[in-house]
Amino acid sequence: MLPLTLLNTSQGHPMLVELKSGETLNGHLVNCDAWMNLTLKEVVQTNSDGTRFFRLPECYVRGNNIKYLRVPDEVLEIAREKNQQQREEHRKVSQPQRGGYNRQYSGSGQRGGGYQRNRGSANIGRGGGQFQRGGRSAQQY
Amino acid sequence: MESAADPSLLPSIIFTTAAQLVDCVDKKLLVLLRDGRKLIGILRSFDQYANLVLQDTIERIIVEQMYSDIERGVYIVRGENVVLVGEIDPEKEDRVQLKEVSLDEIYAAQQNEIDNHKRQELTKNSKLIDIGFFIDSQQEDMY
Repeated sequence: MLPLTLLNTSQGHPMLVELKSGETLNGHLVNCDAWMNLTLKEVVQTNSDGTRFFRLPECYVRGNNIKYLRVPDEVLEIAREKNQQQREEHRKVSQPQRGGYNRQYSGSGQRGGGYQRNRGSANIGRGGGQFQRGGRSAQQY
Repeated sequence: MESAADPSLLPSIIFTTAAQLVDCVDKKLLVLLRDGRKLIGILRSFDQYANLVLQDTIERIIVEQMYSDIERGVYIVRGENVVLVGEIDPEKEDRVQLKEVSLDEIYAAQQNEIDNHKRQELTKNSKLIDIGFFIDSQQEDMY
């Protein structure tokens, strides 16, 4: 999964953000966007020397200032699982369509058969048509 | 691919952008950052900005002929900060000509190096000012 997807799945997890200036922010990711802008909560900010610490209840980071992010190992696993789930859901959504299409396509003969069986007496004309068609297909074979 | 069979042939498509990282996915890489840090980890994914996801990453501090590793875990590196990405040959990896030392030692050596560098810069800048140059910026890239 893409780096920003992983960042998205890190929401709610603790992470370490290092800025280009060398300052680090330790906190829980609240939200993020496609520009890597972040909002964090319960943050400990460290200056670039690592000598001073500041507690911030929440903070906003503009993405362009970020050098890198460190996320917990579990997040990769979670992201993988989510990714797989999404794929399966996608498959579930797309398969019935295909199935329906197939049924219409290849099952027309069967349905025709159904028509005949159910309504054969009511639609004599159509029944005849189908009979003809049946005959034609028999010739084809 | 043909190029795999005959190394004299160039691959039919040569990516000159972040796309050439496809070959590096799931391989062990050395990533050099603009601040001089060296990260060694397995590339799991990347995007068009060369943002990278590295797993099981170690940070290797190298000073002269000494090195020391720090385990760091998963990194999302913002592409802007990447200087170079190089694949590590697992066969040649063990034949490093460097001596592993403790973290304390490496930190001390690193600090020493930084101090030396600062001193050099100061002397250089003062000399430049003497001969009429104007110093208005500091060197930002440390690699």
